[in-house]
Amino acid sequence: MKVESRVPAHTRLRHAVEFHDGPADQLARAVAFARATVRRGEQLAVAVPPLVEKAVFDAVGHAGVVALTAPYGASGGSGQTTAASWARELRSLVQSDAGATVLCGHDPAHDGVDGGYWTELDAALNVSLADLPVELVCLYPAWPLHLEVLEGARANHPYVRAEGALTANPEHRCPLEVLRGRERAAPLVLGPPDVTYRYNSWQLHEVRRMVARLAPALGFDPVRSEDLVLAVNEIATNAVEHGAPQAEIQLWATAGGLVCEVHDTGELDEPLPGLTAPHPAEPRGRGVWIARQLCDLLHVWQDPGGTHVRLHATP
Amino acid sequence: MSVRAAEDLASGDHACAVPVSDEQLWELTAQFLSGGLRRNEKVVYFDDGTSERVLERLTEDRVPVAATLRSGQLQVVPADVTRGAFRSPVADVRALLHSYVDGSVAQGWSGFRMTGQMSYGADAPAGIPMTTYDAALDDVVRERRFAALCLYDHGHYSQDQIERMRAAHREELSAPAAYDDGLLRITQTGVTAVRLAGEADHSNRPVIHKLITDTLDRALRSADAPTDIELNLASLRFLDVAGAVALVHAAEEFPSSHRLVLGDVRPAVQRVLDRCGAPFATQLVVREARQPPTRLPEPADGPHGARERRLAAADPAPGPGPGGTGPHGAGPHGAGPHGAGRDDTPEDRSADVPDDGPRREPATEGAP
Repeated sequence: MKVESRVPAHTRLRHAVEFHDGPADQLARAVAFARATVRRGEQLAVAVPPLVEKAVFDAVGHAGVVALTAPYGASGGSGQTTAASWARELRSLVQSDAGATVLCGHDPAHDGVDGGYWTELDAALNVSLADLPVELVCLYPAWPLHLEVLEGARANHPYVRAEGALTANPEHRCPLEVLRGRERAAPLVLGPPDVTYRYNSWQLHEVRRMVARLAPALGFDPVRSEDLVLAVNEIATNAVEHGAPQAEIQLWATAGGLVCEVHDTGELDEPLPGLTAPHPAEPRGRGVWIARQLCDLLHVWQDPGGTHVRLHATP
Repeated sequence: MSVRAAEDLASGDHACAVPVSDEQLWELTAQFLSGGLRRNEKVVYFDDGTSERVLERLTEDRVPVAATLRSGQLQVVPADVTRGAFRSPVADVRALLHSYVDGSVAQGWSGFRMTGQMSYGADAPAGIPMTTYDAALDDVVRERRFAALCLYDHGHYSQDQIERMRAAHREELSAPAAYDDGLLRITQTGVTAVRLAGEADHSNRPVIHKLITDTLDRALRSADAPTDIELNLASLRFLDVAGAVALVHAAEEFPSSHRLVLGDVRPAVQRVLDRCGAPFATQLVVREARQPPTRLPEPADGPHGARERRLAAADPAPGPGPGGTGPHGAGPHGAGPHGAGRDDTPEDRSADVPDDGPRREPATEGAP
């Protein structure tokens, strides 16, 4: 299939950072930004700390404004999962419309250990929103608790917004460069898994059987169970296809659904796989993208031991 | 040794087959059973934990399973009866077979055929070798002119047992597949028609692409071959993303004169295809399965379960009937043989089949 991207450059993502002096300043800037956007008649989406969100809705009402899904739990902060889910929400939002303006506000509650969540989120947004007609403005503190937050904000944003005007950011670097060599945070360690299984290419059907057996007991309906089997199969396949001939899968059956980790000793050529739908002519990469659509969390990280994926799906 | 197919076995035939995979086991069983249904014969499957998959495969093959179970033409004998036969004296089993065949004919069926999962007998639970039972079966097949297919699959029989049973049979069926790796089985059903059964994933990925290009090649080389390359996916239970992408890509690379037609696609496989761009491929036709193959009447439970189980076992325990006399009295074990005996008298049978729908109609293609 020959499909050319027909999205002109000026309708693609414009991603800017605006610095503020503290929580009160962030709130004031957010409200002013929202007012101006709504006055221009543009569709606004916000992802800001709870207090700021309330102030924005109080100021401009709910018409023409939507709140994007809050990042996946404070514990399991996964910037790439947030970026994938915002891409999904914004894609359906802009389909009917000319485009959208998105206001994102730094929330120290999601900093995690080192603030790396924000660096990964902004890098991932540069990938997942790349071909969407979206203007994304991120409010970051000029003096954050973690220096990482400031460094990430400076590197990830192609534009700086000040006094309502965008200027090119000379410090901007592409996601690959930002994330290269940086060990992305592993999610919080879970207890011992309920199932651990080492497998190769010829045992993938065993992996599917395990998931198919667990899923109905965890409350997944037949259709969702089949989708979950597919999602796990794709991640498990990737590990033995691109990684080592043998990989390991771990499964946790929890009250909140199924958690699954796949570990292989290979390396990723792409730090954030599956964030965009691959070109139709591209035979690879579609599996992870589909798995991201089917799961509530899909976090890929790397360490000297290899590549790791955690997947979480709720019924 | 002959090269007949399972559905071609007719009265007086007693053949064995050694399937190389589970998929082939279901395929052979379903072909043999549906061949009998088409001939208007009474068709009996001796279950031992395998009937669910056999009925599923029959449904995928568009055999009217529910209707033939209801009419009594297709009967699933419960596992305890199947096992009971191998704990009984050979003479009793012979009598049991007589009563089954004679009962079927008395009811107006054109003949009788049987197969099943008999592996319980392989370990000679009553000290009687399986070959002895098989010899008795062979005698009755010749006397009474019915059809029996004995299946010895690697999942249930050891290699030794398989060789012993193989040697005891005059005829062995072989159904060569285009491909069978134990997970995925591919059979050629026409010049440009192929059937996939099982699961397609990373381990057998190159096969699908080769299959399609080979089939297309055949179509292009023969002038009067159909321009549709048909893949029947009724029995394909899993297709991974790369496999779906391969099908979509293959269709896109077809010459404009040809189409790739995927038939009887299960819902889960359909969803994968949809996510991989199948709706946008102009030379790809995806046809859904007519009915979800998972909704099967289960003999053991479900709303109709009790009745179907009763039909299957034809349990005569309460009530009169000829259950205690003649060959039935010598029945080997439990309810089974009596049930067969009960079929001797049409009055009794009608009591067992409450619905008055057409009972003697041969099975036709396609369930209602």
